[in-house]
Amino acid sequence: MARLSFRSFLPWLDVLAIAAWGIVLLKFWLTGQLFLLIHPNYNWLTIAAAFTLLLVSGLKAFFIWRASQRLGRQSSPPMQHVSLFPPGWGSALMLGMAIAGLVFTPQAFASQTALDRGLTDTLTSTRVNPQAFRSSTRSEDKNLIDWIRSLQVYPEPDAYTGQKAKVQGFVVYPPNLSEQYFLLTRFVITCCAADVYPISLPVKLAGGDSKTGLPAANRQTYAADSWVEVEGQMITETLDGRRQLTIQATALKPVPTPKNPYDY
Amino acid sequence: MNQLNNAFTLFLSLLVEAIPFLLLGVVLSGLLQFFVDERRLLSLMPKNSLLGALVGSCIGFLFPVCECGNVPVARRLLMQGAPVPVAIGFLLAAPTINPIVFWATWTAFRGQPEVVLYRIGFSLFIATTIGWVFGTQKDVRPLLQPALASVLSYRTQTSGGRGSGASTILQSGTYFLGQSAKPLITDPSELQAAMVATAAKPTSYRLRLLLDNTVQEMRELGSVLIIGSAIAAIIQVFVPRDVILSLGQSPVTSILAMMLLAAVVSICSTVDSFFALSFASTFTSGALVAFLVFGPMIDLKAVGLMLSIFKPKAIFYLFLLAGLLTFLLTLFLNLYIS
Repeated sequence: MARLSFRSFLPWLDVLAIAAWGIVLLKFWLTGQLFLLIHPNYNWLTIAAAFTLLLVSGLKAFFIWRASQRLGRQSSPPMQHVSLFPPGWGSALMLGMAIAGLVFTPQAFASQTALDRGLTDTLTSTRVNPQAFRSSTRSEDKNLIDWIRSLQVYPEPDAYTGQKAKVQGFVVYPPNLSEQYFLLTRFVITCCAADVYPISLPVKLAGGDSKTGLPAANRQTYAADSWVEVEGQMITETLDGRRQLTIQATALKPVPTPKNPYDY
Repeated sequence: MNQLNNAFTLFLSLLVEAIPFLLLGVVLSGLLQFFVDERRLLSLMPKNSLLGALVGSCIGFLFPVCECGNVPVARRLLMQGAPVPVAIGFLLAAPTINPIVFWATWTAFRGQPEVVLYRIGFSLFIATTIGWVFGTQKDVRPLLQPALASVLSYRTQTSGGRGSGASTILQSGTYFLGQSAKPLITDPSELQAAMVATAAKPTSYRLRLLLDNTVQEMRELGSVLIIGSAIAAIIQVFVPRDVILSLGQSPVTSILAMMLLAAVVSICSTVDSFFALSFASTFTSGALVAFLVFGPMIDLKAVGLMLSIFKPKAIFYLFLLAGLLTFLLTLFLNLYIS
């Protein structure tokens, strides 16, 4: 008897599992968390999939209900199929993960991931080649990714010396740089969170320099992972044995973490 | 704790990106089987084995199925008298050579379009070559499972007639109606077979079959996708970066590691490019291509399904040939091109 009721419950488990994934996808969309997971170009695909899943589960539910009405307890013999998993196992796994997805709030990656993903190996490269090279823009209008792309096209740091910069990003302290520097970092996403990769520019803090009037900044002043807006001038520094374009900060202010922390 | 959080975010992002493609693949492969008349298609197949293998490799475009859907289709093709090179070419290439997989791979590797091209080119080459090699075996029956071989023998005895619907196995749709005491539908792929056999049934019945097919496939492939995404997320977050880098940067071990991963993870070909993407920054591009080419042809899940067609010996040959060709081609890519 218990076996029979388990069997008649199985089709409903399918319905639940599929509906739950539709709801999870909708939840990510409506709460704006989709930005943390995938590139916005593909949002529509996810949304369409969410509605299709809900439609499929709704139709399936309707047919199961109708079959049970028509035949009472003697419902049509459940379809036997030998599959990869024991009966109910696949749907239970999907349902469980969907519930976990409903409860969980995705998190934007932070400095630990940036370091793990080789922030220090490839300071100046983006994987997607520049679509348009906007050399005419005022230098202080460039964001971090614009700077990196400029460097990719013309890598000589001296060419940018003296240009004004005003960029936003979060603070990463790599182990190989001295107290006076941090890396202003952003993640770039091309498809989904699996391929986000960090880009960054070193920022030189004033270090108690009387000329700039800024207080001596060190790692305590700006916490790792906090978002800041840096204003300053471009200089060339030799860091870790390489000549690198660096921002000499003249002003630094904390900014709120953006809703969509990734760049494209 | 933070690491765990990252891993789960990564896991969800893989799923959110992959589920639409999985759904599209499942629905479209179900739909198209209503419209493609396999028998008419087969009458157009070339007799030459090299040409047959090539054409067989390309008909995946008409059946956008991943490696779970292609096995029953290949079995049907064989039973309906397809030349062996055609069936083998289809079996190996169909999961890769189809529009949805192109789109998904392109979505994932927008930044490295060459990966997409190598995937298509290598898959086509390998599938055609192996189909051609198998074409030299004039009588294919020793390689097939007894049940399938006897159907073919029956067909030969009845002077190679089309035998449309004459064999018992082809009539699975009838059993599906529940007229038999014991339901004979044994797996979701059988259900697909049943769908083809129902071309004459009313539309509403066919639509219900389509619905059931979609639900079953989503359940099966969805669970594999969940497990695969979890493995990818765990490897990426918890395995130390220098271990992965030392493995992934050498031209030889990177390919072997990715081929092993492809065979074990068994992730569906419509979504495997998102899995591979999470290794894009640490592994050589040859290794990524090896994963994308080898995985759809041979993996644990597909081997299980292939046992419904071939004897283990034949699967071993397929495995060996596909593995060697993938390894050599991608090694060449690593050493001389990229």
